[in-house]
Amino acid sequence: MKRILLPVFVALMLPAAARADCFVEYKAKQDSPLRLHYGISRLPGDCPGSGAAAEQLSAALARDGWTLLNVVGLSTKEPGDSKRANAGEYYLRY
Amino acid sequence: MSTTSATDARRTGARLVGVGIAAIVVLLVGAGALLMFTLPDANAFNARVERLFIENDTLTGQAEVKLLEILAQSGTAFSDTLASYRMVIFVLLVFATALLVAALVFLVMLVILNRRMAQIERSGIQVSSLIISREENTVYLNTMGFKLTEAMVETLAVLAEARMDDEMLSGAQIEAMISGRDAGDCEEAAGATRIKRLRDGLGNQMVSELLVKNIARRGYMLAIDKDVIEVI
Repeated sequence: MKRILLPVFVALMLPAAARADCFVEYKAKQDSPLRLHYGISRLPGDCPGSGAAAEQLSAALARDGWTLLNVVGLSTKEPGDSKRANAGEYYLRY
Repeated sequence: MSTTSATDARRTGARLVGVGIAAIVVLLVGAGALLMFTLPDANAFNARVERLFIENDTLTGQAEVKLLEILAQSGTAFSDTLASYRMVIFVLLVFATALLVAALVFLVMLVILNRRMAQIERSGIQVSSLIISREENTVYLNTMGFKLTEAMVETLAVLAEARMDDEMLSGAQIEAMISGRDAGDCEEAAGATRIKRLRDGLGNQMVSELLVKNIARRGYMLAIDKDVIEVI
């Protein structure tokens, strides 16, 4: 039983491991009073175009009353420490 | 003649006042509108800060973002102050409008008054009040009192009554009204004589009051400014 399960498990996990997530850097705002934030979000799967990423992101942000200003960059690599520090509480929040 | 031109002047003045007031109101309403639409509102500052945030990808640090937010807030606070300034400026504009309108009206009134004064000066004596006192046998023209005989006062009273009814009287009618007889029985000449006596009596006193003055125990002199005399 174990012999069969392990390859199945490995076979199931492999595509997930190969499929890296997409990290989206973005800027958003709230109006009256004006509030701004810089954040990083993770989208599952390969990076879409920045237009598609913006669409997905703005829907998530709108739920908390934020308006997406622009997408700064898309990357499959995990962001560095400085970017992570800049995003602060908005790192992977949306 | 003088009455018509005075009315004309008044009419022109009224039109001038209307145009002037309209011009002032349009000018100041324009200024107010300009003030209203060109002064930045709170969002102008926010939009500027937002653009700054979007355009500079290096401004992503927590402290920097916080700073931008503070910048926007102070801009908003300033624009609140601006709103109160705007109110003050509007009040001042309203005052300015009222003062300008008043100044214009007074100016035009002054011009019209000057014109009328000139006309009155040219037309000689302008009778603004005529009071006939039968008891004292006196007629008051403006503030000057003239002593008349009973017959003259009677003639003047008859003429005044006719004038009030917008009527004209012939010599015979005047004689008829004073003597109480029928107009057909009266002669035209009798009325004319009464008029002549009235003119003589009143004219003599008026000229002595207005022109040829008699100063007691000193003599006679013309009661006019010596600059206006010209002998051709």
